[in-house]
Amino acid sequence: MQLEGEHVFKGPREEVYAMFRDPEVLATAVPGAQSLTKIDDQHFEGAMNIRIGPVSGSFSGKVEVANEVYPEKFTLIVEGRGAPGFAKGMGDVELIDQGDGTTLLKYSGDVQIGGTLASVGQRMIDSVAKSIIKTAFETLDKALEARLAAKAGSAPVEFKAPTEAEFAAAVTKDMASGLSKVAEVRMLFYVIPLIVVLVIVAYLLSH
Amino acid sequence: MTTHTIKVKVNGVEYVREVEPRRLLSDFLRHDLGLTGTHVGCEHGLCGACTILFDGEPVRSCLMFAVQANGHEVTTVEALGTPEKMHPLQEAFHEKHALQCGYCTPGFLMTLKPFLETHPNPTDEEIREAIDGNLCRCTGYEHIIEAVKLAAEKMATRS
Amino acid sequence: MAGRVFGQSIPRNEDPYLLTGQAKFIDDIELPGMLHAAFYRSDYAHARIKKIDVSEARKLPGVIAVYTAEDFGEFVRPGPLQVPPPTAIKGSIFHARPLMPIAKDKVRYSGEPLAVIIAENRYIAEDAMDYIVAELEPLPAVTDLEKALEPGAPLVHEDLESNLAALVKQERGNYEEAAAKADVVIKKKIYVDRGAGAAMENRGLVVNWDDRAREMTIWATTQAPIPLRNSIATRLGLFEEQVRVITPFIGGGFGPKIMTSQPDDVLLPIIAMWLKRPIKWIEDRRENFLATTSERDQIHYAEIALTRDGIILGVKDVFYHNTGAYDPYGMTVPLNTQTHTVSCYEVPNFYTEIRMVFTNEYVVTPVRGAGRPEGVFVMERLLDYAAQELGMDPAEIRRRNLLRKERFPYPTGIIGQDFVEGVLDSGDYPETLRRVMEVIEYEKFRKEIQPQLRAQGKHKGIGIVCFTEGTAVGPYEGARVTVGANGKVTVATGISTQGQGHFTVFAQIAAEQLGVDVKDVNVITGDTGHFHWGAGTFASRGMGVAGTAVYNAAVKVRQKALQFGARFLGVSEDEVELCDGKVCVKGDPSRSMPLGEIALKANPTRGTIEPGVEPGLEATAYFGPPYGATGAGAVAMIVDVDPETMAVNIEKFAIVHDCGTVVNPLLLEGQVMGGVHMGIGNAFYEKIKYDENGQLLTASLMDYLIPQATDMPKEMIVEHLETPSPLNPLGMKGVGEAGAIPTPACFMQALEDALYEYRLQIDETPLNPSRLWELVQQAPKK
Repeated sequence: MQLEGEHVFKGPREEVYAMFRDPEVLATAVPGAQSLTKIDDQHFEGAMNIRIGPVSGSFSGKVEVANEVYPEKFTLIVEGRGAPGFAKGMGDVELIDQGDGTTLLKYSGDVQIGGTLASVGQRMIDSVAKSIIKTAFETLDKALEARLAAKAGSAPVEFKAPTEAEFAAAVTKDMASGLSKVAEVRMLFYVIPLIVVLVIVAYLLSH
Repeated sequence: MTTHTIKVKVNGVEYVREVEPRRLLSDFLRHDLGLTGTHVGCEHGLCGACTILFDGEPVRSCLMFAVQANGHEVTTVEALGTPEKMHPLQEAFHEKHALQCGYCTPGFLMTLKPFLETHPNPTDEEIREAIDGNLCRCTGYEHIIEAVKLAAEKMATRS
Repeated sequence: MAGRVFGQSIPRNEDPYLLTGQAKFIDDIELPGMLHAAFYRSDYAHARIKKIDVSEARKLPGVIAVYTAEDFGEFVRPGPLQVPPPTAIKGSIFHARPLMPIAKDKVRYSGEPLAVIIAENRYIAEDAMDYIVAELEPLPAVTDLEKALEPGAPLVHEDLESNLAALVKQERGNYEEAAAKADVVIKKKIYVDRGAGAAMENRGLVVNWDDRAREMTIWATTQAPIPLRNSIATRLGLFEEQVRVITPFIGGGFGPKIMTSQPDDVLLPIIAMWLKRPIKWIEDRRENFLATTSERDQIHYAEIALTRDGIILGVKDVFYHNTGAYDPYGMTVPLNTQTHTVSCYEVPNFYTEIRMVFTNEYVVTPVRGAGRPEGVFVMERLLDYAAQELGMDPAEIRRRNLLRKERFPYPTGIIGQDFVEGVLDSGDYPETLRRVMEVIEYEKFRKEIQPQLRAQGKHKGIGIVCFTEGTAVGPYEGARVTVGANGKVTVATGISTQGQGHFTVFAQIAAEQLGVDVKDVNVITGDTGHFHWGAGTFASRGMGVAGTAVYNAAVKVRQKALQFGARFLGVSEDEVELCDGKVCVKGDPSRSMPLGEIALKANPTRGTIEPGVEPGLEATAYFGPPYGATGAGAVAMIVDVDPETMAVNIEKFAIVHDCGTVVNPLLLEGQVMGGVHMGIGNAFYEKIKYDENGQLLTASLMDYLIPQATDMPKEMIVEHLETPSPLNPLGMKGVGEAGAIPTPACFMQALEDALYEYRLQIDETPLNPSRLWELVQQAPKK
């Protein structure tokens, strides 16, 4: 699966870069992330819960930061495994100073998935991955704002990671909008009720 | 795991049972109550084999938990007829050879029973739409459509 | 040939139980103390096993045991090979790599079992999976059939030099010489991708080992109860008589349930013996996609050489066949492809080569059609390309090349799945084509209707193709027919039944011979406790082979009834006849004796049977044909394509089919229509897709689309031609796979005709709306 996209952060490139290198921030930004522990400067270990579509469960994995060119770019190598299967990916992240105090982040990568995640979830995984990234960026926007505010010594801006239920709802919304482009229109009639049911099921199970 | 006490009326009989919250309604009917006429074909709500009537409406029992049936009324294929005295719909399926392996059949019957009550003279197209959520691997559906039309005739002459 | 009940449209004996939810299927079986099994399966398609830690899973309350390969010790060995190697074909290469019951050292397909969990219930067994930690080192996966054979490709079986599983070349005449003389030679690469059997009931197994009686009873959803019993007994070191396999009602077979060496078949009986408790395993839908066999998946490099008049001089077909990670079912599928490529046509020169390839995907074994649809797809597509090239009508090019009636019996020169040269025994191929053209009003559509529709901008097309279906192959089947003291008849056979209607058609055969009511015949199939010789339900052979055995046994019982009846009535044998469940004196119905009474008396203890005569109103008979009977047919369909969405509406589908003598027209129609349903799925909806890492991407009915009622033809015409087969006394041929065989080829021809302005040359199946849209975008518009 190919992933590609961009996002504009309202802050200077160095701040954005620093934020990405802070495991505490990243752990809160990624929906479902339980922890992200620093092993050394380049290596992290973490755990993440995923409850999307018919596939749910926890992943444990490793993140490696490579090819670092401060503050321009770095490569993320991610490997996760758990009951729902596995994911392995490599992504290049590039930060471009837009000269107006904002930073353009571009990413492109390739993710390999396996197990239940692939065999049952593949139709949704593309949208889910994009949704995870989108939600993460939105959370990071707030984190960045909070960091900048703290530095400036002004009133603290509150930032809170989304709950799993909030995230699940966001994914459903994203998927529904993406699905209408699919040629097999009848899938809509299956997938949307199914996701709704499964989100409810997931919600019930988690309580 | 904790359990819940549920009270469900199935085919006119009231059952009070202890169930785990995660127990599927299909498993509850089949394995706790021994009503094995309801079949499970995919466990994800797509094949329709497990269709039952829930307060009179066709639903997929594999997509519901038993606890959700607490205080509700369920009807399964066992209530439709017996080998000796079949429902007109069952007779029509028999006469038109609308079943082969018979695994999906209870789901079709439970989908069609309420359909025929609201569509006493269905067209081919209405029948196709009605059974679109039930998969059959054996018949190619053609004989099922013929059977539904025959059942409608039978029911009209009997009522 | 039709008689009092034989040949009549009789509704089925088994229906009332199935319709009222009373029929017993495997998951309906409950035994005291029963445990439940679940398989922990590999997420990787190709990986080395470092360590599997099940210690935490074992601690979970309700978990009884968790086993990995090392716990099974000596039991972990491959096999058995269910079908022998193709040694009858000179020069063939075959590397036998039967299935491993559980992965040891290495994983070869995604879904391969790594551990078996036994628990108090299935919920707990599945919970336990979360506690298993498998350390696997991923290896590059083999998924591309052609790249798999390139030097340096990763190896599925490292003890082999390459991923080549088999190489088989067969030739009739000399293709290259024929091609050199041809006016036209067309070459094309053609893909036939994978589809599932997808029976509505998944597989299942219930095993009960009675430790004190030293007997094992197994309920299984198998198409081959006797081979399953034999392989289980062999592996456990038991006598065959200690193992009884019973098939309850089975929710569809379609091929994959012929497998008797899948992990569950092998491991669960062992565990039941160890634990001395009954064990149930019911496959779920995801497992069915991951780890129940499926089929098709071939790449063909095909050629056809013709004269300017469209007369075929020769056909060449070199094809890659994906056997998956193992080849437990030998070469049945690709051999069927070889025997069905030129099918019903006069092809003097034919070269065919199988390159069977191991990949990191699940195993390929027969699914309804079993290699035949691939061969027919290739040939029919070649004829369509040729017709386009030569400016001929598709029906006309077929008419010119069909084998004439006087050519039968016609030796094909190609050895098939039964390892004897295929011989087309009988038929009238031109007549099936003529009749299908008539019923679909081919000429009228072409000349009157279509030009008008095209003028209105509509996209309605017609397809027409011909096919054969090799059926009713040996080795043999048997049956025992017994008249009880109640005057009713029991028929026991060794095959099992998955919805075909054997309970009724076998009853019709016996009832016709014995003059009883069809409802008074109780048919037992798939219980090795009742009949223990036989091969199984496959290759459309139930009617032709087991049905003939039932006939042979019933004839013997009829003779016995007349013989004994005459003696008890005090007349000679030629003075009696059967009448309504009795033996009567001809011309004097007042003198008669009911069959039940004769059965009661036909017992040596009562002194009525002389030494040397088998007791009882009972007989056992067997039947084995020298080679299989070949059915045939022609299909035509009219489709309406929406060029915006590429949705396809099948307006009309006609099939004229010849399966010899018809036993029950109503049930025959059902068989044909069911086959067409799968054929439509194989053409436009159903596709098993693996990614380049060997991950299965279609493991739910959300992604694997089985045609729904709205996808099916709005009008179906099924007609029969009866050319009796000389190979059995009733003249029957099989029919189970017929509808699935020609349909994808016909579908593509109809699509090309509907979207005529794009001049498509579709060379793959299955398509779907998106793929068709892509093909149209790539096409050079006229």
